[in-house]
Amino acid sequence: MQNIPFEAANFIDLNYMNVLYLFVVGFIGGLVSGFIGSGGAFVLTPGMMSLGVPGLVAVASNMCHKFPKALVGAIKRAKYGQVDVKLGIIFGVFAEAGVFYGAHIQEKIKAAFGDAGSNLYVSVAFVVVLAVVGGFVLRDAVKTYRSGNADAEEKVSKLARWVQSISIPGTMIYFKSLNAKVSVLFLIPLGFATGMLAATIAVGGFIGVPSMIYVLGAPSLMGSATELVVAFVMGLGGSFKFALHGLVDIRLAGIILAGSLFGIQLGAIGTTYVKPFMIKLVMGVIMVIVLFSRALMVPVYLSQLGLIQTLTDSTVKILKDTSFAIMAFALLTGAFIVLRAMWQGRKAERALTEKEVLENA
Amino acid sequence: MSQKYGNLKKKPLGRMIVYGMLSAGLYVALLLNQGTITALFTRGAWYATLPIATAFAISFIHGGFTGYFWSVLGVEATKKAVRTRTEEKKPVYDRERPQPQPRLRARL
Repeated sequence: MQNIPFEAANFIDLNYMNVLYLFVVGFIGGLVSGFIGSGGAFVLTPGMMSLGVPGLVAVASNMCHKFPKALVGAIKRAKYGQVDVKLGIIFGVFAEAGVFYGAHIQEKIKAAFGDAGSNLYVSVAFVVVLAVVGGFVLRDAVKTYRSGNADAEEKVSKLARWVQSISIPGTMIYFKSLNAKVSVLFLIPLGFATGMLAATIAVGGFIGVPSMIYVLGAPSLMGSATELVVAFVMGLGGSFKFALHGLVDIRLAGIILAGSLFGIQLGAIGTTYVKPFMIKLVMGVIMVIVLFSRALMVPVYLSQLGLIQTLTDSTVKILKDTSFAIMAFALLTGAFIVLRAMWQGRKAERALTEKEVLENA
Repeated sequence: MSQKYGNLKKKPLGRMIVYGMLSAGLYVALLLNQGTITALFTRGAWYATLPIATAFAISFIHGGFTGYFWSVLGVEATKKAVRTRTEEKKPVYDRERPQPQPRLRARL
């Protein structure tokens, strides 16, 4: 950790183009986060690194922009009755433990296998988690859409019904989002896994939101909104840890926040216009596209570790650029779906209001 | 016409301007003094509270501004969302209510 202050001293010079780039990426990331509760952060860290920001400073500054953004989003969505603060805080505390353990694992892997080993671990975690969870979420969203029951109230999954039926004395807590009591013992592994994923791929919500929906039985809107509380708790603890080592570049965090606070408000407003399955759809689409982005990087790290034939520099560059482009495409696709759904929702509401006015007249 | 005027009146234009100016001031101060701020904020130990406090300040001031900004533009939540807020489900506790017991009122 002793060489960290030197790395921190390499804070980049900001020019107008850098500021504009961070603002725009922040806005799009905020829009998606406001809608699905997470998901904007995974483009920001590589985005900052592409500007020449050292890796640890990029991670630290990203985290420092994440918790105030999540706070604003959570407050906004709490106004619409979508947030379960109790569930978010308890989940967040276990997630925080997962973050610290995940960071510890990362350090161990880095010490044993170097940067390439650490990157391979991150990419494999991305591919496995996004393939399993993303595939499931997307399949469920498409199934709901095709069934023609998109307007109907969401059904609690069989697993969630079982979880809610288990009563362990002394551990039961009532959660308003579930409208049921659940043993806190179920929250420990879910929160911990969320934190570990956040420490590994920077987006814990890809486990947090689906687990609240499918394992605990929260409605999609409440699960995604409560994830913002979890992100706040995790982000605050993580940012403080990084700030203790002088790694937070507050200029970068501030500029990203400038854009993301516009985005998160808009994303939160958007949730009030859409059907619940849209949350799952946006999340599933982003997860599946990002999966391909990270899968492209696996051969690069395997080659750096000498496990496969060495790739040429030009091949590595093409794979890296394509991977980043796919990641940006994932975020843009998510933002497009959110804005489109919001536009259609507003249009439908306006038409309904006009109809009511005409009928009253 | 009066309805339109009423809508305009409700929009928090004044608050948006105040928060917007505060937010701009905060960012100008941050970027104009970036050398000093960066040096101070990266000292670690107790100085770690400075970036955290700044992030909170940005979230409060700039967050307030962005909220009012969308309101002034007329981009607001659907009325249904506000209605749902007040129609939250009551919790179902598994407690047992006392059942009324039949009483014998016959006179001997």
